Amino acid sequence: MKKILVVEDDKFLRELISQKLAKEGYDVAEAVDGEKGIESVRSENPDLVLLDLILPGIDGFEVLAKMKADPKLDEVPVIILSNLGQKDDIEKGLEMGANDYLIKAHFTPGEIIEKIEAVLK
Amino acid sequence: MMFFQKKKTKLANSNNIAITNYLTDGLLVFNSENKLTLLNPRAEMLFEVLEGRVLGKSILELARFERLSPLVSLLGGEIKPMEKTELQIKENLILEITSTPIARDGERINTLIVTHDITREKLSDKMKTEFVTLAAHQLRTPTSGIKWSLGGVLDGSYGELNESQKEILTKAYKTNDKVIELVRDLLDVAQIEEGKYLRNLVLTSIEDVIKTVLESRKQEIMNKKLNVEFQREDVQKIMLDIEKMEIVFKNILDNAIRYTSTGGKIIITLNRKEKEREVEIHIKDNGIGIPEYEQDRVFTKFFRGSNVMRVDTEGTGLGLYISRNIIEAHGGRVWFESKEKQGTTVHVTIPIKERFGEFLTGKFY
Repeated sequence: MKKILVVEDDKFLRELISQKLAKEGYDVAEAVDGEKGIESVRSENPDLVLLDLILPGIDGFEVLAKMKADPKLDEVPVIILSNLGQKDDIEKGLEMGANDYLIKAHFTPGEIIEKIEAVLK
Repeated sequence: MMFFQKKKTKLANSNNIAITNYLTDGLLVFNSENKLTLLNPRAEMLFEVLEGRVLGKSILELARFERLSPLVSLLGGEIKPMEKTELQIKENLILEITSTPIARDGERINTLIVTHDITREKLSDKMKTEFVTLAAHQLRTPTSGIKWSLGGVLDGSYGELNESQKEILTKAYKTNDKVIELVRDLLDVAQIEEGKYLRNLVLTSIEDVIKTVLESRKQEIMNKKLNVEFQREDVQKIMLDIEKMEIVFKNILDNAIRYTSTGGKIIITLNRKEKEREVEIHIKDNGIGIPEYEQDRVFTKFFRGSNVMRVDTEGTGLGLYISRNIIEAHGGRVWFESKEKQGTTVHVTIPIKERFGEFLTGKFY
């Protein structure tokens, strides 16, 4: 069973995506801010991270940077799931090493899971 | 009599001096040799120079003065005529420059430069754009929540639904998607206003762009049994921002599809205009048309034809506004002809630019 770490500060959205993931047979870990996100990547060993960008404390870009700077973590695939969606942000995220960048409002949880499956293949 | 004339002239002169002294715009006057003959108090303040120090100097000599040098670069040694051209002098100072040659018997005798401070307007525009961007992003979180939760209910994750429940919730889901689309359009508009719009210029076949757009709308065209024809001649590749041009043609084609009844016809033509060095695209439909009294508002923000609102409530009203901005950013033009109940033809021209450098001389976003 694959484990997905969800880093998302909005409770409603976090619950919706976690429930859907659990329903589709994934093991789910959650983090509510950037700090806890980094800790959880280390402690939970997820197979993939769903990373929001706008987070209290350190933001998603910083979390991504920290992951890529750590040789133990840089291989973990990351899908950015954010409502910040200007071309600049998307390019920045992909250049920093994210595997994909999805705008939350444009995808359903089912479609997000399809993207996860594509990355995990 | 002479004495009276002289007194009138003296009075007129002192009136003129009073006017230039109290004018809230900066004023500079250059004579026929392009030497400075007047710099009013307001211009002294704006450009941080004293009239006494710069009077009599030629335009190019003025480039030595820090705050005047951007103005000199703009006007050039020949002091080009211009109207309301924006110029940034320093961090919190943006001016609108108007340069007017004054001629007598066909000879230029003076050039009048008027400088108008628009810093506050620019700041206000910037704040409005930032507000729209922030608001749009904030709107995405709750609309995502609605999309995900309603989507979950509709796909059976929270139990089976009966037909009427499915129906009403589907409508709610689609309504929310419309809000999400509007937010996307608002962000596009804000980006245009910020002037960051045309980014990736690449040599492209515009025929391919149109074919891609037609392909993406294949389903809707089939659903409405529309007869769509694409008549084209061979046109060379030109510099385009592909993503933005796709948005343009998607917007125009979407309108043609939406506002043409089932079984109607859409003809797209693509040809090259040799003399004008332009590519022309026409999209003609035989749909419901645009009422004459509304035709001059078609490209404004949020406009939707009154005859259209009854037929189809989709459409955010920003599509054509955004499209026109993109076309104009490429140096092109867009216009249309329309007759109610007969149809609309939208015309687009795009100049043939084959090198990146050709964009930098004109208006480049």
